[in-house]
Amino acid sequence: MSAIGSIARKEGGDLLLSPRGLAWLLTMAIVLSVFGLLLVGNTELSLLDNAQVVYDMGGIVTALGALLAVVVGTDAVAGERERGTLVSLLLTPASRNSILLGKLGGQAIAWGVMYAIALPYFWAVGSTGQNLADGAVSVALFGTPVVLGFGFLAMGLGARLESARSSLLCGLIALLLSASPLLLGPSLRQSAIGRAFDAVNPFSGALNAYDAVIIDSQSILAQLPHFAVTLVWLALTLWFAARGFSRVSS
Amino acid sequence: MHMTLRILCLAIALSLTGGRAWASSLGVELTAASSNPRSPRMGDNLSFHTVIRNDGPTPIDGLIAWISLVRIDKGNEQPVDLEDWSAHKAVTAARLAPGEAVRTDWPMRLIQAGTYRVIVSAVSRDSANLTASPFADFTVRRKPVVESRRVLPVAIGIPLLLGGLMFWRWRS
Repeated sequence: MSAIGSIARKEGGDLLLSPRGLAWLLTMAIVLSVFGLLLVGNTELSLLDNAQVVYDMGGIVTALGALLAVVVGTDAVAGERERGTLVSLLLTPASRNSILLGKLGGQAIAWGVMYAIALPYFWAVGSTGQNLADGAVSVALFGTPVVLGFGFLAMGLGARLESARSSLLCGLIALLLSASPLLLGPSLRQSAIGRAFDAVNPFSGALNAYDAVIIDSQSILAQLPHFAVTLVWLALTLWFAARGFSRVSS
Repeated sequence: MHMTLRILCLAIALSLTGGRAWASSLGVELTAASSNPRSPRMGDNLSFHTVIRNDGPTPIDGLIAWISLVRIDKGNEQPVDLEDWSAHKAVTAARLAPGEAVRTDWPMRLIQAGTYRVIVSAVSRDSANLTASPFADFTVRRKPVVESRRVLPVAIGIPLLLGGLMFWRWRS
C-alpha cells in the first residue's frame, strides 16, 4: 500500500473506528435528527418550504463537514507537532506531499462517511418534495471542494503557526466568516460588498448552487461558475497547505 | 326633468367622442384543461387554456395578457407568487386582426394546499380598460411534505445505531 493510502487509512480509522472518534459522528447525527424532528408536525409546509428544508440541510451538512475538516486538519499538523508525533512521521521515507495528501485522505474518508449518514436524513425530510436527488448530488459536487479546502486551510495554518490553539481559532473564524451566508439571506447580501463577497466566497458558491438546483429547479450543469469558485478555493488552499507543510522542520 | 336631460346629453357626447375607449373589443375565454386531475393535490400539475379574440372591426395593437392567481380561503386571502408555481406569466402579440385569436396554455405546478382562483387579464396599447376572463376556481388537497413515519425512524434509528457501534467499540 502506498504511503498516502497508509496514512489516509490510519487517519480515517482514528476518526471513524475508535469510540472517541465515533463521538463526533454521533453528535452530527443528533444535530440532523433534531433538525428533522423540528419539522415533524408542521402541516403548513408547502412544496417550496420542503425544498427550502432540503437546501437548509445541505447547508448544515456542508458546514458540519467544514467544521470537521478544520478541527481534524489543525490536529493533523499543529496537534501532532505539539504532541511530538509529527517528527517521527517526517523522518519516515514518505515525502511531505504524500504525508499531506494522506492526511487529507483521512479527512476525505470522514467527510464521505458523514455525507453517507446525511443521505437518509435528506430522504426523510425531502422525499415528497422536489429535486431531492439533484440536491444530494449538488452537496457531493459543490460541498466536497469546500470541505476539503477547509481541511487544507487548517493544515496550512497549523504548519505556519506555532500553536494548535491559534491555528484552530484562525480556522474557525475563517469558517464562520465564509459560512455567514447560511445566516444572512440573499436579501441581506445585495450590497456591492455583499455581492463581491459572494463572488469569491466558496461557501456562497456552494450555497448558491444548492439554491439554484433545489429551490429554482435549475440544471446542475448550469452551475459551472459556482463550481469554478469552489475549485479555485480548493486549489488555493492546497497550495497554501503544501507551501506551509514543506517548511515544517523535522 | 332637468337632470334627465343632462344625463342624456352626457351619454350622447360620450358616444360621439370617446365612447370607443370604454368599450373593449377583446374577448377572453378561460377553461381548465380536460387532462387536469379532478381532485388535485400538492405537487400535481394543472393547465388552463385561454382564447383571446379580437371581436371588434379594427386591429388591436400591442396585446398583453397575463395570468393572476389568488388564494381565496377565508382568512388566507392573498395573491400567489407565480414564479413559485412555475406558471407562465404573460403572453404578448404585436397585432391582433379583427376576428383573429391567440390561444395559450397556462401550466402551473401546485405548491400549497388551499382554494384558488385563476384569472387571465388582457389589455392592448390603446385600450383604456382591462378585459378579464371569467374566474376558474380550484382546490388543492394537502399532501404532508415532512412525514413523521419517514423522519422518526431515521432521526431515532441513526443515533441509536451509531451509539450502539460506539458502545461495541468501547467494550471491545
